[in-house]
Formats: sequence, C-alpha cells, structure tokens
Amino acid sequence: MFLRPPPAPTKQTWLWLAPYAAIGIFALAMLIVTALLQWREQDTARSALEGDMHWAERTIETRLHAHQDFLASLGREQEFKQLTYESFQVRASRYVRDNPEIEAIAWVSTEGKVEWVSPNETTATYVGDQLTETRLLALQKALRTLRPLFSENYPNAAQLPANDLILPVQQSSADIGAFIAIQSLETLLRVTLPVAFTARYSLSVVDANGKEVFSNTSVKPTDRQISGTISLDLPNNRLGLNIVAYRGGGAWLPFLPAGLIIFLTLIATATLVQLRRHAHHRAETEEKLRAAYAFRHAMSQSMVTGLRAIDLKGRITFVNAAFCRMTGFDESELVGVAPPYPYWPAEEFSKLQHNIDQALAGQAPAAGFEMRIMRKKGERFDVRLYFSPLIDSNGQQIGWMASMNDITEPKRARVELEQAHERFVTVIDGLDTAVHVADVVTGEILFANRAFQNIFGFNSVGQDSALVTAACRPAPESLFVTPSKLRAENLPCELFDGELQHALSGHWYHLHERAIRWMDGRTVRVQIAADITDKKHIDEVYLQQQKRLEQTSRLITMGEMASSLAHELNQPLSAIANYCAGCIKRMQAGNYRFEDLLAAMQKAGDQAERAGKIIRRMRDMVKKSDPKCLPVSLQELIDETRAFADIDAQRSGTQIVVHIPENLPRIVVDRIMIEQVLLNLIKNGIEAMGDVPFDRRQLTIQAHVVDERVLEIAVTDQGHGLAEEDLERVFAPFYTTKQDGMGIGLAICRSIIEFHQGRLWVESGRDGGTIFRFTVPIEEKGE
Amino acid sequence: MTQTIFVVDDDEAMRDSLTWLLEGEGYQVACFDSAESFLHARRDDMRGCLVLDVRMPEMSGLELHERLDALGCQLPIIFVTGHGDVPMAIAALQRGACDFIEKPFHNQELLSRVERALELDKEIATRRKRDDAISHRLKQLTQRESEVMKLVVVGKLNKQIADELDISMKTVEAHRARVMEKMGVRTLAELVKAVMTVN
Repeated sequence: MFLRPPPAPTKQTWLWLAPYAAIGIFALAMLIVTALLQWREQDTARSALEGDMHWAERTIETRLHAHQDFLASLGREQEFKQLTYESFQVRASRYVRDNPEIEAIAWVSTEGKVEWVSPNETTATYVGDQLTETRLLALQKALRTLRPLFSENYPNAAQLPANDLILPVQQSSADIGAFIAIQSLETLLRVTLPVAFTARYSLSVVDANGKEVFSNTSVKPTDRQISGTISLDLPNNRLGLNIVAYRGGGAWLPFLPAGLIIFLTLIATATLVQLRRHAHHRAETEEKLRAAYAFRHAMSQSMVTGLRAIDLKGRITFVNAAFCRMTGFDESELVGVAPPYPYWPAEEFSKLQHNIDQALAGQAPAAGFEMRIMRKKGERFDVRLYFSPLIDSNGQQIGWMASMNDITEPKRARVELEQAHERFVTVIDGLDTAVHVADVVTGEILFANRAFQNIFGFNSVGQDSALVTAACRPAPESLFVTPSKLRAENLPCELFDGELQHALSGHWYHLHERAIRWMDGRTVRVQIAADITDKKHIDEVYLQQQKRLEQTSRLITMGEMASSLAHELNQPLSAIANYCAGCIKRMQAGNYRFEDLLAAMQKAGDQAERAGKIIRRMRDMVKKSDPKCLPVSLQELIDETRAFADIDAQRSGTQIVVHIPENLPRIVVDRIMIEQVLLNLIKNGIEAMGDVPFDRRQLTIQAHVVDERVLEIAVTDQGHGLAEEDLERVFAPFYTTKQDGMGIGLAICRSIIEFHQGRLWVESGRDGGTIFRFTVPIEEKGE
Repeated sequence: MTQTIFVVDDDEAMRDSLTWLLEGEGYQVACFDSAESFLHARRDDMRGCLVLDVRMPEMSGLELHERLDALGCQLPIIFVTGHGDVPMAIAALQRGACDFIEKPFHNQELLSRVERALELDKEIATRRKRDDAISHRLKQLTQRESEVMKLVVVGKLNKQIADELDISMKTVEAHRARVMEKMGVRTLAELVKAVMTVN
C-alpha cells in the first residue's frame, strides 16, 4: 500500500490540550462563582437568622415580661387583699386562655402548697398539691429574694419541659405566698414564634447547663452553618434557645451546582475526548483515504493498461497516463470529448461508432472489442477494449470504464506463434518419420503427425496408442524403463531404441521412444518411427556389396600373389641362369679356377632351392583359404559375378547373355571360389574377343542339369578360339596365350573345380570361339 | 678410361650372379645394394653403364633414373624388370633410358645389351669431349666476334652484318676471319655445325 508517513504530532497535542484547559478553567471559575453565590446566600441567610433571632428573643422576652407583669398585678392585688378567689379565677383563666403557654396560674403558700389554681380545668396542678424539689427550692429562693424568678425546668404532667414563674407576695414584709405561672416551654415557643419561623428553623431549648431540654422535633436536615443561640437570662433560670436554620431544598442542594458543573465538565471532557478520538479517527481515515486515493491514482497512472472512463453519454471523464501514452493525446485533449474521439482513424469511424454504441447500450462483449485506433501522429495500432459499468458509491451507474490493452505486439506475437505452429505442423507433417505422443497412463494419443496417421489411420488422435500401434509396438519388457513407474524428476528419459517390423505391412521401422513431460505436466511417450524398409534393403545391398568387395579383394589378392610370386621366382631363376651362364663362359674360355666354378654352382643350387621354397609357400597360402560348401542358387551366383564382370564387359563393349533354365536345383559349392572361376572364365572370354568386331562380342553363360548329382555350366565366347594343341595346355600352370597372361588363372580354376569333385574343360566352338565347361554338384534332395 | 658396369639390385643373389656372369665376360663390375648407395658413390667421371633393378625397396630404379637425369649424369641405363613392370619400363625408355630387359632373361641377351650400352657410353664420352672443345673455343671469342659469329651463322651477308652492328665491312671481315681461326674451322659449314652441336 502506498501510505504517506504520519505528520509530526507535537503541534496537535498542544492544540488538543487547549480545550481541556479551557474546560478546566471554566469549571473552576464556575465553581468559584457558585461558591461565592452560596457564601452570599448563606450570609444572607445568616443575617436573616440573626434578625429572626432578635425578633424571637424580643418576642419571648416581651411575653415573659407580660407574664411577670400579670403576675405582679395579681400580686399587688393580693398584697392589698383586693383579690378574691373569684376575680383571681376570672382574671387568671382569661389570661391563661389568652396565653396558651401558661398552663395554669396557681397561688401557693409559702410552704409550697397550692391553694388556688386557675383555670379550674387545668391538669397542670391541683389545689392542695405540694411543690417539690426544684419547684419548692425555686419558691423558697423567690420568697427569700422577694423577686420574681423562674424555677428550673422540670417535666410537666405531659412530660414536656416546663418551668414556673414565681412571684412572691409579701404583706407587710411577711411572706404570704406566691403566684406561680406554670408555663410550658414547648407551647411558649410554639405560641410566641409564628409558624413561618418554626418552619424555617429548628429550635431547641437548653437549660443553664447547656443541656438540651426540648426541641421542636423535625426530621428536616438543618444547616449548622446558619445557626444562632439566644440566651434568655430569666431570673434564676437561664433559658438558652438554639436556632438552626433548616436547609432549604435538602442537604444536597448546595452541592448541586458544583456537582452539576463537575458533571457537565466531565461530560464536556468526555465529549471532547470522544470528539478528539473521532477527529483522530477521522484524520486517520482521511489519511488512509488520501493514501488510498494516491495509491489508486499512482496505480492508474502507472498501469500499462490504458483506462478511460466515459459517462453514460460517451463523454470522456477520465483517462489515465497509459491511455494518454498509448494514444499520444494529452489528458486535457481527451477529457470532456464525446464520440467521435480524436484517436479514431477516419477509416474505422463506422466500426468504432458501432462499438461505442454497443458499449453504451451495455452490450459490450465480455471478450472486449478488438479495434484499430491511431496515435496523435497518425500511426495505427491494435488494441483490445474491455467495458465495465462504472458504479458510484450510491450504487448508481455513472458511466462506463474501459480498459485498453495495446495488442499490436501480442497480436504480432500471436500471428508469429500461429505461423510458427503452422511451420511446426508443416515440418512435422512433412516428415517421413511417424511421430506421435501418447499418455503413459491412459495410452491416449495426444498428437500424431501425418506420417503416423498414414501408417496407423487418420482418426488415431484420442484413441488408445496400444490398440492403434499394436502391429508395431515394442514389447513392454523391451523398454528400458517401465513408463508408468517414471517419476517427474527422471524425465526426459529414453524408453526404447530399436528396429521393429510392422506386423501387417511388413515394413521395418526404427523406433525411438522417449518419455517426456507434456505441456500440461503429464508424462507422455514420444515415439518417432522412421520407415527403414528401404534403408534396410540398402543395408542388405550394402552388405552384399561388402561381400562382393571381400570377394574382389580375394581375387585381387590372388592376382597380386601371382604377380609377387612371379617376381620372387624371377630372382632365383635369373640368378641361377646367370651362375650357369658365367660357368659356361668360363669353361668355354678355359680360364677358370675350379673353386670359383664350384662356388658358383653351389650358389646356383641355393637359388634353385630358394625358388622351391617360394613355390611351397604359395601352395601353403592357397591351402589356407578354407572352402565352405553350401547350397546356393546358380542364378544368384551368376548375378553376383556379373556385378564384377560387367565393368570389364562394358569397357570392352561385350554383351553377356545368360541362358539358364528356371527352377534349377541349387548347387553345393564354395560360393566365392566358384564365382572366381566364373569371373575368370568370363574375363578370359572378354579378353579373347578383344580383336573381333563389336557386334560379335557376345559371351554366353548357359547351364543344364546333367544328372541328379551334377550341373554343367558353359561359358562361350566368340573370340579367336584356341589351337588344337592349346586345348589341354591352357590348364597347365604358367602357360598362357595372352600377351600379359601369367598362365596361372585356368590352372587355379581347374584346381577349384576339381576340389568340388567337378571337371573343367575347354572345347572349340562350332563357329569359332571357345567353350569352357565345368560341372558342380547339385544339392541332394531330402537333405 | 676403363668402363665399369654398375649393378644396382637389392637382391644379393642377383648382384652376385650378375657379377659372376659379367666378370666371366671380362667386364669390370661394381655392385650397389640400393639406389641410395649408388647415388652416394656416384662421381661425374664414372664411365660404363648401369644395370638397374626396377623394383627395389625405398628408392625404385625409376626414381634413381630421374635423380640421375636431374644431376646430368649420362650413364646409359639398362633396366631389369620383373613380370608386369613392362609398361613402367616403356615409360622409362620414353624418358630417355637406354634399354630394358625382362627377367628372367637369357644371359646372351643381357650381354648384348650391356655391349650396346657401353658403346653408347663411349659415344657420349667422345661427343662430350668434342663439345667441351667447341665450348672452350667459343669462350675465347670476344664480345664483338661472338656477335658477328651469331649473325654469320644465321646466314647474313657481311654487308648486312655491318649495317646491323653499325661497323664497317672491313671490320666485319676481320672479325669473321678471327672467328674462323679461333673456332678452328675453315668453312662456314663447319662453323655452323660446331655451333649447332653445342647448342
């Protein structure tokens, strides 16, 4: 993939930190503001509390003073005895009714005995009750001090905190008793302070020792910060009142803004983080997209295939570099152009228009169009154009994409390949040699040339090679290796090389078989069968010729031997003659020395011996050639001989006529020896006719069966003939009638014939010429 | 100078028997067992004839004949041939050999041929002697005399010679007389004969 390196991250980190910092600062500021607001609110609340507290204090004090005053008025009337029980009842009960915190007003004796109680229906105290404990102590103290005072708090009948306002009364400096107002603290608070106040504050009453004696019970949370304490210094009783403001809207309320801010900050941060992550992801995606785009662009530009996009109307929307390169036009010259395109050669217009119409109709063939277009310079070249629909990201077709390949070279290569194949086929078919390729396993013939089909049938391809070539197929055991066991790495390998005869036609073929790897990887047998029938025939002829050559050489050897024999014999013979002549001369002249003559004669004797040895050696040599008698056809024998004799015959213009009856029995002879005899006789005949006119130069060979054992052959010439006395002498060794004859040929011939238990003789012809006749044995029947 | 019969034959019996025969006739005989050994011993003043065997190993008789020809040796040669060598011998004769004789030969035949060869040798010797003398005389002629002589010999008249050589008639006559004197001839015919012999 083509990807750009990621950009340096430092700057972005810094930038990305800014929003976080801003959020932090904003959150901090908000928190501070909130704190300030809260502080202010609290301050306001505290001020309000303080105000309320003073108000409450005054109210309570006023109330208590009112009670004191009432009791004081009662006391004054008592003092002066102006107060009756009834008026007491009336006034006190009215007062109690008006001041609910006063449960009852009683008149007690100095001993603390309750004497009057008002109102009558009260349950707080009863007439006749004795004050006890703190109440009594408070009474005594009041009597002693002569001042109104409050008793310590005590639980009343309802077990609620209560106290007594005691007003001592003296009559003429004697204590006569005291008025006591039993007041309930709870009611005091409830009555003196309005509901709005109690709803806002939690009130608790504490005694002088700071011990809470009462509180208006409420489960509502209180705000300790907004609290205050009122201290009512009642005589003999200090009454403290703790006031705590109820928290408005719950305990969590003050934290709500901060919490909200923190929560929002967190959300903002989280959002930012998400945003950043998203942006990062987006940037990455963009980067990838860019890289992908760049890659695709690079790909389309670097492709060797030309790419061209057209819209649905055929207008070019895109071409890549390869397309421009191929056509030679610039991108700017092509984009936006509708058909006919500038690279259309005029002569191809109609065809190309047809093609583009077809393509736009969506009927472009899958194999593409093969067309000829031109470069800007006018040069024509062949291309193949493939069309495929161009689909945008919404799945809508927006045009057609065409890829264009320059097939000039491939086309040329293909044409060349075709030509090469054609040549190959022509050559292979032109061969005399049958070539075929067959699968090793199935035997299916994959290829066969014409020569093969001529031999084995024209529909042999695809058939089983074993059946088709059954008449001429090497036996499986004669193959060098078993083809089916061949492994791929052993290929190619030799399978067979030898000669076979076609069982039906009798033709001989030289088969050469190899196992090779076929194009598709199969192991196949390639067999090349050359018809060697003619060659074989030629070989046979050649063999025969070789044999003849051998015979000729034997004949030549014989001639040479004779010649060298003559030369060798010449030496001792001449020497003997010389010695003898020398002796004779000396003896005739008479001037000789005996020793000299003796020595010369001895030397002559030695030479005679030497001559004898030469003769003996020659005889030994002749004996060595060991004749082999085998049955042969006379015709063959004569034919072979004629092959040699014809040379001389043609040179001398002699016609050789062979008259032998058909179906002659075969003769049992040493072929070469008899051929020599025949050749010798023929040559003699030809030479004998050397001085007769050309039209008479005819040599006749005849043969006839004498009896069941013997066949007679006659060689007749039209030559000068032989004198009567020569008829027998010609056979004598070293007798010759020819100028350069040696007189040895006929002698040898006679020896040969006699070796075959035959006879060789000569007769004079009736009209001149000579007839040589010889007999040879016939092959015995039933042998 | 005595004549010698040089026998060249590779066969010892032949050499020996020929020596026996020829010495019996009173000739002087020298034997060589090969053509090479004869070539080695050969001198220009050898007189007589050569009895040469055609068939010899290494250098054959015919080759020796060629070599001797090239050397300017004029010894008459009698080739001794075996059977079948006849055409070869005839070729040799055509090349200027003296004679040939086919083995086996009759001794008288050989002897007569030897005699004839020796005669020939004598003739050759005489002729050579005469030629040498003429040559010697010719060398003694001056440049001008030689020129005059050449013109005289082709039959030109004194006047023509004088014109051709651009000299006076008298001078030609003087030269001519001196040429006749130096060449030891008296007539024009003799002069022509002498010059023809040499050339």
